[in-house]
Amino acid sequence: MNASHASHPPDAPPTRREFLTRCGMGMGWLGLAGVAAGAAPAASPLASRAPHFFGRAKRVIHFFLNGGPSHVDTFDPKPMLARHAGRPLPYENLRTERKTGMAFPTPFKFAPHGASGLEISDIFPKLAAHADELAVIRSMYAQVPNHEPSLMLMNCGDSVQSRPSLGSWVTYGLGSENQNLPGFVVLCPGGFPIRDADNWTAGFLPGAFQGTRVDSQHTDLDKLVENIRSRHATAEGQRRQLELLRRLNAEHQQARGPDDRLESRIQSFELAYRMQMEAADAFDITREPAHIRALYGEGVHARQTLIARRLLERGVRFVQLWHGAGQPWDNHDNIEGTHRKLARDLDQPVAALLTDLRQRGLLESTLIVFGGEFGRTPTVELKNDGQSRLGRDHNHYGFSVWMAGAGIRGGMAHGATDEFGFKAQQSPTSVHDLHATILHLLGFDHERFTYRYAGRDFRLTDVAGNVVKEILA
Amino acid sequence: MRWICGVLAGAAALLVSEAAEPDKARPHWAFAPIQKVVPPEVKQSPWVRNPIDRFILARMEAAGLKPAPSAPPHELRRRLHFGLTGLPPAPSATAAAAADAALVDQLLASPHYGERWARHWLDVVRYADSNGLDENAAHANAWRYRDYVVNSFNADKPYSRFLTEQIAGDLLPAAGAPQRHEQITATGFLTLGPKVLAEPDKMKMEMDIIDEQIDTLGRAVLGLTLGCARCHDHKFDPIATAEYYALAGIFKSTRSMASLVTIAKWYEHPLATPQQAQLEEKHRALVEAQKKVIAAFVEKANQQLLVDKAPAPLPAKPEEQYGKDTRDELEGLRARLKQMESGAPRMPSAMGVADGAATNLPVFLRGDHDSPGTVQPRRFPRVLSSGQPLALEGNASGRLELAQWLAGAENPLTARVLVNRVWRWHFGRGIVPTPDNFGLQGEPPTHPELLDWLAGWFVENGSSLKKLNRLIVTSATYQQASAASAESLARDPDNLLYTRAPLRRLEAEALRDAMLEVCGLLDRTVGGTLWEFENYKLVFDHTSKDMTTYETRRRSLYLPVIRNHVFDQFELFDFPNPNMMSGDRAASTVAPQALYLMNSPLVLRAAEALALRLTEAPPQERVAQLYQRVLARPPTPTESARAVAFVARFPGSPGTTVKAAAPAPVWQALAQALLAGNEFIYLR
Repeated sequence: MNASHASHPPDAPPTRREFLTRCGMGMGWLGLAGVAAGAAPAASPLASRAPHFFGRAKRVIHFFLNGGPSHVDTFDPKPMLARHAGRPLPYENLRTERKTGMAFPTPFKFAPHGASGLEISDIFPKLAAHADELAVIRSMYAQVPNHEPSLMLMNCGDSVQSRPSLGSWVTYGLGSENQNLPGFVVLCPGGFPIRDADNWTAGFLPGAFQGTRVDSQHTDLDKLVENIRSRHATAEGQRRQLELLRRLNAEHQQARGPDDRLESRIQSFELAYRMQMEAADAFDITREPAHIRALYGEGVHARQTLIARRLLERGVRFVQLWHGAGQPWDNHDNIEGTHRKLARDLDQPVAALLTDLRQRGLLESTLIVFGGEFGRTPTVELKNDGQSRLGRDHNHYGFSVWMAGAGIRGGMAHGATDEFGFKAQQSPTSVHDLHATILHLLGFDHERFTYRYAGRDFRLTDVAGNVVKEILA
Repeated sequence: MRWICGVLAGAAALLVSEAAEPDKARPHWAFAPIQKVVPPEVKQSPWVRNPIDRFILARMEAAGLKPAPSAPPHELRRRLHFGLTGLPPAPSATAAAAADAALVDQLLASPHYGERWARHWLDVVRYADSNGLDENAAHANAWRYRDYVVNSFNADKPYSRFLTEQIAGDLLPAAGAPQRHEQITATGFLTLGPKVLAEPDKMKMEMDIIDEQIDTLGRAVLGLTLGCARCHDHKFDPIATAEYYALAGIFKSTRSMASLVTIAKWYEHPLATPQQAQLEEKHRALVEAQKKVIAAFVEKANQQLLVDKAPAPLPAKPEEQYGKDTRDELEGLRARLKQMESGAPRMPSAMGVADGAATNLPVFLRGDHDSPGTVQPRRFPRVLSSGQPLALEGNASGRLELAQWLAGAENPLTARVLVNRVWRWHFGRGIVPTPDNFGLQGEPPTHPELLDWLAGWFVENGSSLKKLNRLIVTSATYQQASAASAESLARDPDNLLYTRAPLRRLEAEALRDAMLEVCGLLDRTVGGTLWEFENYKLVFDHTSKDMTTYETRRRSLYLPVIRNHVFDQFELFDFPNPNMMSGDRAASTVAPQALYLMNSPLVLRAAEALALRLTEAPPQERVAQLYQRVLARPPTPTESARAVAFVARFPGSPGTTVKAAAPAPVWQALAQALLAGNEFIYLR
């Protein structure tokens, strides 16, 4: 059945040359064999790779404020709203998902912070202390005022078609610095956001680049990463067993020809085996000293941010942190109460992360991205009875995303929305532009960073995208 | 359900908005009548087994490609068993056993056929055993609908009848109580959806429930996102808001809820027989009598207390002052009452709908029920009708007419959507790759003539699903090998031309069932419920503690489906979100799945049971037994030699003997490796 194995005793590993001749059939072969032989894996799809050119950023942490945080209440001050409070805007309200009414000034106070004087709302007091490290893009825009397509656009670069996610692209491009953990980890407490795993799908990229989602509401390792421990097998026994499994799977695949799914599945066992060892350590924040834990604070967001730092520190390439299941930031009602609470969830952990990364010398090589799928209207949302419940509707015409860390010029705002904050007006920045910039910081020319699928080359940025040079250090 | 139509409404913002014009869009292929198609002539006609193959081969030949050879019998057998029953072949089947028409008939006649195909349908109707959303109340009677689906598929109920019953079974004549109960239970389809049961705005609650019904019905049956027209004319498909409300009137005239008072309750039909009702009445009388006994006892004891403690008035908590004997006796009486109450005969009932007061709804501008527009007589959308559909009048909701219209042979979408679903469930991709959207935003069919030919054939053959399944699985197209030639890979990389059989991963349920089955642990009982939750009771307490148990050896179909908290093992293997209908499951591959196969209790237990079933024999024979059980084929000499060597060299075990109670770890390890292998989880 398997001619290439005939010259060997059945249980002997194939020669290295045999592996190499089969590389066309699968790049993942050497991974488990390498581990089983105690050597460093050589040709795993997660092996670290060099980008097109030198990139300042080596890893990315993306805080995803799912639901659509309101830019005019957080990072984009609009004093004109107060002047027009309760009156119509001088132009017709842009069409969003629902009806909106009069100008709705922010219930929060903005103040300049740091040497730069960057204005940030008072619901992020601790983060504001890092103002000089942030580059706020105040002129972001998306395509439609609805969650699903906007989530897909922000995560996968296309509102309509199913495409690989940003994290998958980055992991595909750079591999990972740690072969014992997934290269792309998604932490989402308590459930899934809208569109579930589509948000971190590998799409047509090989399955090894798909985000591995962990429910960070748990504190117990066995619940954080299910089935992480073997209750009966010795390490030696399991290694031999997996070696056998690898041979079985390889033969199965050889009889059939190349197939991404079979390849991914072979990879998945190798990774799982290694995760058993490494995950126990990486996910255990009790191994952090008390002062570090105190720095991040209490609660699920503190915990998952600290886990994220431990993952990044161990070489994980891309970590995405979601605020929670569903769409917590989707505040159609009561912006004041809800946004305040949500901001409080994140303020201390994010500020702590910036401090912590700097102290460890990791800030200059870690890119931090912070934002949602769109913003919210500067006008108040109107309910069916014409009344408002002091909330804001979705707004894809203009919103803010900030970045910090590797290669980012801190203490600045780039672009601007109109004087009321409805629409990106000065240096409008598309999601493709944001993606192009992130890829640039990682060392990729987004126009040359492609994957051939179904007969053509695909890019994360499709046929668009310009690097936002102004925010680069 | 706003986010469901998000994609469409959202994308629409990019386009110039204009009102729906049904006639303009009539040319869209999906809305056109089903074409009479003659299967094309092909050169390589000996390959053809039935007309499906002509359509497939003609396209291949036009591209200068050839079909793959037939699949080896053991692979085909495995494919047929899983495809039709969701279970692996019996280990006793030998490698040479035929995978022929007789096997197909045998599998179609198996009671497990209905289970397998019921699970497919349950995806489409967003089946769940709890409500989800804000109040995750138990659907304690949803299982009756599930059994109905299993039985309907096993009985090969014509699809047109199956649909009619699910939409209007309560309005159909019935020959007797069993048939009436069956038809009533079928309407559970309309009420299984998630509902905001604590919605303070009752009108909104009702309109949201109706919207969920329309949305599910539209996508499940017609492949149309009708729900998008709630707030605005459909941006892409010719469905006007007025038509949405004309349709919504039918559901407004239908009773889906028993009570809207928070926490609202969905409607259920009593299914009790007169004898059961009598029994219940008798029991209730007994309970009442016992309550009277207790009241009298307390009264008497209080009187005694007044006498004993006179002149003091009766204390606030008189029972604390009773003597010990009195207290004990009272406790005994109350314990008895509690016991009686918990022993109440459960009156069977089924989730379902009934006709309510016939009402026409106005258009609600922008979906806002406080902004009524013109009243719309109840009628069906125009796009699928020739001419202006008639308004439904009189005291009936119009649901029966709707069901008959949907199930009618002249409706071009119903049959197309169904045959495409069946194709999708066999091949992993529909002829229309978006099985839930046949509208302008859906993808066009890869083989439009085949789709129409199949739809026409299906209608002509009494909309029999068993016949359709037989036709598909006996085609040469289906029976190809999955091994790909270099040419097929190079020139048809995505297998759009079907130049080979697709590789299919077992679904979450099939994986679990197969694992239990090959280990001899599966309980094959068909039907019923495993779930003992009280109806309407919240399935999570305030601590969000999961009180559901999945410890059973029954088929996965019978495990509870809890919204917002799907069984983690299923979620891991892409079980669809039961909050919304889905005809197109994903098949992801991630490391946690591997961890599951390496370390989860179920897999370890299965591997242990499998090892225990091996008979005392030389290692080589035992290896053969193992391969036969797990993969339904003997090992090749290489595989056999490798497994024997693995056993001999496994650490800490001589590996050649087995004790009755505890298998040697090495055999368990070997069994587990086969269970975790790609050959087990992928169908070739």
